[in-house]
Amino acid sequence: MRKVAIILSWIITSLGVIALVTLPINLQTQLIASIAVVTFMAVIKILRAEGTWRLTALAFGTAIVMRYVYWRTTSTLPPFNQLENFIPGFLLYLAEMYSVMMLGLSLFVVSMPLPPRPSRAASEGKYPSVDVFVPSYNEDAELLANTLAAAKAMDYPAEKLTVWLLDDGGTLQKRTSPNLLEDQMAKARHQELQILCNDLDVRYLTRDRNEHAKAGNLNNGMRHSTGELIAVFDADHAPTRDFLLETVGYFEDDPKLFLVQTPHFFLNPDPVERNLRTFERMPSENEMFYGIIQRGLDKWNASFFCGSAAVLRRQALDQTGGFSGLSITEDCETAIALHASGWNSVYVDRPLIAGLQPATFASFIGQRSRWAQGMMQILRFRFPLLKRGLSIPQRLCYMSSTLFWLFPFPRTIFLFAPLFYLFFDLEIFMASGGEFLGYTLAYMLVNLMMQNYLYGSFRWPWISELYEYVQTIHLLPAVVSAIVNPRKPSFKVTAKDESVLVSRLSEISRPFFVIFAVLLLAVLVTAYRVYTEPYKADVTLVVGGWNLLNLLLAGCGLGVVSERGELTATRRVKVARRCEFGLDEQWYPATIDNVSVNGARVNVYAKNLGTLPLDKRGLIRFTPYSSGHEEILPVAVRNTQVAGDIVTVGCLYLPEAARDHSLIADLIFANSQQWTQFQMSRRGNPGLLRGTIWFLGLALYQTSRGIIYFFSSPGARDKARLAAEAKR
Amino acid sequence: MTRTALLALILLVSHNLPVRAQAPFDMTPERPASDAPIDGWTGDEPASRPVVETPVALPPEAEAFKRYLLPNGNLHLNGETAGLVWSVYLTPQQAGTGAKFNLGYQNSIFVAPEVSRLSVEINGTKIADEAVRSADTVSDLSFTVPKDLLKPGSNLIRIHADQRHRTDCTIQSTYQLWSNVDSEKTFLNFSGSEARGFRSLDDIRAIGVDDDGLTRFNFVVPALDQPSTTIPLMRLAQGLAVLAGMPNQSFSFDTRSTAEAKAGELAVLVGTPAELQPLLAALPAAASAGPLAGFVEDPGTGSPVLVVSGPTWQAIGAAIESIVAPTEVNGPAVRRDAITTQRWRSPDAPFLFSDTRLQFSQLGFKTEEFSGRRFRTDFTVGVPADFYANAYGEAVILLDAAYSPAVVPGSHIDVYVNGNIASTVPIASSGGGILRHLPINVTMRHFRPGVNTIAIEAMLESEDDKLCAPGATGSETPRFALFDSSEFHMPDFARIAQLPNLAASAGTGFPYGRSQDATRLYLDRIDADTLSATATFLGRLAVGAGHPIPVETVASAALIGNRSAIFIGALSQMPETVLTQMNIDQTSRTTWGSGTDGQGGVNTEVALDAWREKLRGGTFAGWIAGFEDWVKENFDISFSSLRFASVSEKSFAPSRETTLLVAQGASPDGSGTWSLVTAPTGKDLRDGVQAVSTQDSWGQLAGHITTYARGTKTIDTVPINDFDFVETQPASLSNYRLIAANWLSTNILTYAVLLAGLGVMLGLATAMLLNNLGRRE
Repeated sequence: MRKVAIILSWIITSLGVIALVTLPINLQTQLIASIAVVTFMAVIKILRAEGTWRLTALAFGTAIVMRYVYWRTTSTLPPFNQLENFIPGFLLYLAEMYSVMMLGLSLFVVSMPLPPRPSRAASEGKYPSVDVFVPSYNEDAELLANTLAAAKAMDYPAEKLTVWLLDDGGTLQKRTSPNLLEDQMAKARHQELQILCNDLDVRYLTRDRNEHAKAGNLNNGMRHSTGELIAVFDADHAPTRDFLLETVGYFEDDPKLFLVQTPHFFLNPDPVERNLRTFERMPSENEMFYGIIQRGLDKWNASFFCGSAAVLRRQALDQTGGFSGLSITEDCETAIALHASGWNSVYVDRPLIAGLQPATFASFIGQRSRWAQGMMQILRFRFPLLKRGLSIPQRLCYMSSTLFWLFPFPRTIFLFAPLFYLFFDLEIFMASGGEFLGYTLAYMLVNLMMQNYLYGSFRWPWISELYEYVQTIHLLPAVVSAIVNPRKPSFKVTAKDESVLVSRLSEISRPFFVIFAVLLLAVLVTAYRVYTEPYKADVTLVVGGWNLLNLLLAGCGLGVVSERGELTATRRVKVARRCEFGLDEQWYPATIDNVSVNGARVNVYAKNLGTLPLDKRGLIRFTPYSSGHEEILPVAVRNTQVAGDIVTVGCLYLPEAARDHSLIADLIFANSQQWTQFQMSRRGNPGLLRGTIWFLGLALYQTSRGIIYFFSSPGARDKARLAAEAKR
Repeated sequence: MTRTALLALILLVSHNLPVRAQAPFDMTPERPASDAPIDGWTGDEPASRPVVETPVALPPEAEAFKRYLLPNGNLHLNGETAGLVWSVYLTPQQAGTGAKFNLGYQNSIFVAPEVSRLSVEINGTKIADEAVRSADTVSDLSFTVPKDLLKPGSNLIRIHADQRHRTDCTIQSTYQLWSNVDSEKTFLNFSGSEARGFRSLDDIRAIGVDDDGLTRFNFVVPALDQPSTTIPLMRLAQGLAVLAGMPNQSFSFDTRSTAEAKAGELAVLVGTPAELQPLLAALPAAASAGPLAGFVEDPGTGSPVLVVSGPTWQAIGAAIESIVAPTEVNGPAVRRDAITTQRWRSPDAPFLFSDTRLQFSQLGFKTEEFSGRRFRTDFTVGVPADFYANAYGEAVILLDAAYSPAVVPGSHIDVYVNGNIASTVPIASSGGGILRHLPINVTMRHFRPGVNTIAIEAMLESEDDKLCAPGATGSETPRFALFDSSEFHMPDFARIAQLPNLAASAGTGFPYGRSQDATRLYLDRIDADTLSATATFLGRLAVGAGHPIPVETVASAALIGNRSAIFIGALSQMPETVLTQMNIDQTSRTTWGSGTDGQGGVNTEVALDAWREKLRGGTFAGWIAGFEDWVKENFDISFSSLRFASVSEKSFAPSRETTLLVAQGASPDGSGTWSLVTAPTGKDLRDGVQAVSTQDSWGQLAGHITTYARGTKTIDTVPINDFDFVETQPASLSNYRLIAANWLSTNILTYAVLLAGLGVMLGLATAMLLNNLGRRE
């Protein structure tokens, strides 16, 4: 009853706002109202007011956005009888309305995200039996060894924990492939992984045919296992020790719980971060999703399965026939099916796995294409808005998640819309300079402020636009093909083990340069037209400014597709852990400074040790979190630096036994706290103004870098291509 | 019918006979009135025949009769294309008489005669098409009007000038082009004197104008100082005003006949036979028997005299009804389709009450092609008194036009509303183009109740004009065409009346014209000046309202109570409550017109402004003022518009220069509308009202108070700051929404505050909602 009253009062207030907002007031009033609202929002932001004030600021922003929509709808569309204007004008209108709709949906999702839940690790409870599934397709043994070792090392009663390697790369189908090379490789892999699993005490499972890709693989795993809960880790997602302790307890609390999802934390930068060098300073792209959107979804019981780093309930999966495999994003699809049958989900906002992201721009795009196409398939086959069984908030949440991937369309339209005017003199947006100021500019400002309000410390200004832009060019055809032919897209495993050794242009960079050139030309046209047609300079300047913004994004995009070469193949993680370093039967006190999946840097306290010869064998003795007694990891010395009594030794692991993999995993992955700390170190809201200035500098620098790459390294480009081909 | 020196009253039976052989009038006034006794009278009892048609006598001497034509005095035809269409009412006799059209004009020296034409059309037939070549003197051209072209009743006259510059091809140069059609020399010249006479009451409409565009009804009422005569006289005046419908009408009252009747004037004798006897010796005997209304010819001048008589004033009232009744077709309850404007511009302005689309062809515009550089045309529409969309409203012109490849970007099409720029559309593409229903938003900020003129002006630039080869100005290749399929679209607009609002009263006689109840009329004294002023004022209101407004005189202001009323008289005689309600300084009662400035010393506001101006620049305040100017110029927002509603108004004291004050306010309880027309003296009142009721001035009546200064002939208004809404429409959500939009567009800050308030409320409501729905921690 109370709820009804609250909903009703909210509806009445909203109607009041709508009534006020849809009054056909004059421009002056709009201007003053806009200024008032923007000021108010700015003040609230500066005061860092939270809670109700945050919602009030959002309500204000919404009012201005709605005014914009009202005005845009009623007074700016070109007349219908001018089709040459009307069609592009209407497309632009639709694109804007899409953006507004997405803003509305994300407002719904994240206006009050659930605060992070308290840690469950300390609480005692029952320990249901857990099957850990590590599906693999083509990842190499070393990567799998780390993951499996980390999974095996999770803090959980050993008899309740079974780790499965679900190998789809060594299926019977592959092993008997008519393709000789494939056949041989599959056989070798089959063999190698079986040995690895044996060593690590992990169950190896493969199947006859590669049907239904990952979902099929997981379902096969389910058929062969019996655990109450199923934890899924991608081949590169190594869990921390407390993963299960932090997650399993929720299943006891809520018998209708089917999923506990945790964030995906990545050790390496994605290509954008790497090429822009923002990984250490700026929150990653996915942090917005895992840091706030999933929490927002969680509020509405709509947090969904992201394919890995999650625990699911077998009983629930059995009820809907296991993992759904209709789309190529089986994870989200499965979650919809289970939500629709009344099961609940929980999101734990604490990074409990560390994984890898695709290293090259091309595979990054490949990964995003899969997501986008998969979401299109879900839109098509499981249209969430009308899906029976889902609650209304859940429907909206899923619509928000799936519709998001339509962004290539509006992005493309926003990119080219100014060109209609600049090149072809088409008037697709009917507004005067004053109206532009009072409505469009206010809308854009308010929109940016709202974004900053919602995602401020997770997403810096203009970064969303940049990510959308760099994905759009290759995602647009992918999304179109998924819409036209929804059954066609097939599951492609994203390669995450590549590395860029030589600086080069991405193999899919050409369109970016073409677009940049076109936009640059448009800037020149702007200048020319301002000079030659002074009577409409105002409109030209406004449109030219818009185009300039696009050019900045496109310039920054050039930097994104100019792949920086990196010497170290893998990311180092700062750990600071006490150990002893053994050399020639002598043990020195030492600390492990940082580690990567390949090696570690150790600070050794030793007088007169001197520079060590290359590849000298050494030993690291430390106490892993898992066992409680000291163990020894063999390494090879790669370099030494002497600074007084401290000798810094860079060394490469020399894993000899399976246990060595566990030790390596323990060094890197065991501690979940370090991931949280690392994320926190990057989280900070630079604010709209500072963020914008920063982005401007970034864009200019990246533009120049892209252009330099373009002109200076045709040779490197060819080499890279050759290298890539050779690797293939 | 024979020529006769005697004033002959033609019997009713023959009143329809054509009077062709009449001699021209003798315009000389030598003969005393009594020289020409009336030897007959025919008239009807108004009770049995509503319209009494009385034949008029023949003038003593035959002389050509000039019927002046220009409705507003001299007609200025400016620019490359300009013209006027209006209708002139002719009596059957006039229509039947052969006439010549006399045209006098003078033009600017810059007008190139070989490519400039001045044309005259009557009822669609071109009777003159002259080269514009009268730069030195006023020309005096005469054209024969073809037989049977003139019709009894309304005749459409169109004067149009196409003018091109001799040497200059710039748009700027087109402002040097003008022709001034001289009202004194522009007339229909009727050869027969009988054209002068009026026979039927319908002929009142043919009163016409004098050589300055003025129209005057000269009432001679011996008994005018008797209070009981006021109401019928006012009714008659209003009826005549509505019948004639001329743009510049005034009324004068006198007890004795004095001035001779000139063109554009009509003498009206009202009284019982006994009262009229001294003035009109040969009053028809029927006047003693019953109500009588009809024309006689002034024995002195031969001009027609309207005689309204009867044995008693009651009978006279009945006679007046016979004249006024036909004007009652548009009663208070009737919604007019159009506001009558045809006597000064044709067609009548369509009266728009709600969403309406009008093709230009319906607005009197015909497709035109144009080869010059500044094309201009205009049309009129009427909006009701409760029009309340000034602040937010936008009408749309859906323009069908075309421009040739010669027109280069930089050209633009401007729209003006009542002379104020309302929209500009640039022609932005070269290579020619056809605009099909191009929407042009026209702000309704300058709309006012009543008739509004909307002008479209196309400024066309071309490469040829930049070169300006010899003879280029005369090129006849069309550059621009405006099609009559263009539309004017008036959207639904907010409708609620404001009290006070003089513009509404001026435009459509609101609220008096709508009232079924008689409006109380308070005159401080009943004399010729006051009655003249009253009749002129009421006549103007009646024309706006489209019908006479019933009035009822009251002897004392106390009797008015809270009903709607009009107060006319000297300010010093006005009841105290009236001044209070109008927020007029009580002291001005004694100070106004006494020679000393009511304010005394330095006017604070003026002085403050002067000081502000002096201190502008340099200081911080100056910087703020500069910013305000910039904002004002670019966004039309001034700091004073950033105020909350309802500022208490300062009480108003008329300055020394003003000689007339018109004010409006609510009755004490707000249910009635009180209007005040006042002046320091009776003469000021009469002159002032006459001055403000001319076409040009009447439209400036607006706001809460309007003043007129005779010395400078200026009209000033005090804007409405504090007003009450008066509902005129049935309650409807959509109307309230539009009213709110307009009100909030005027009270800008209120909107911002309201938005902020609702934003906070929505924030709270959302917080509550989110705290109660979904998961929470």
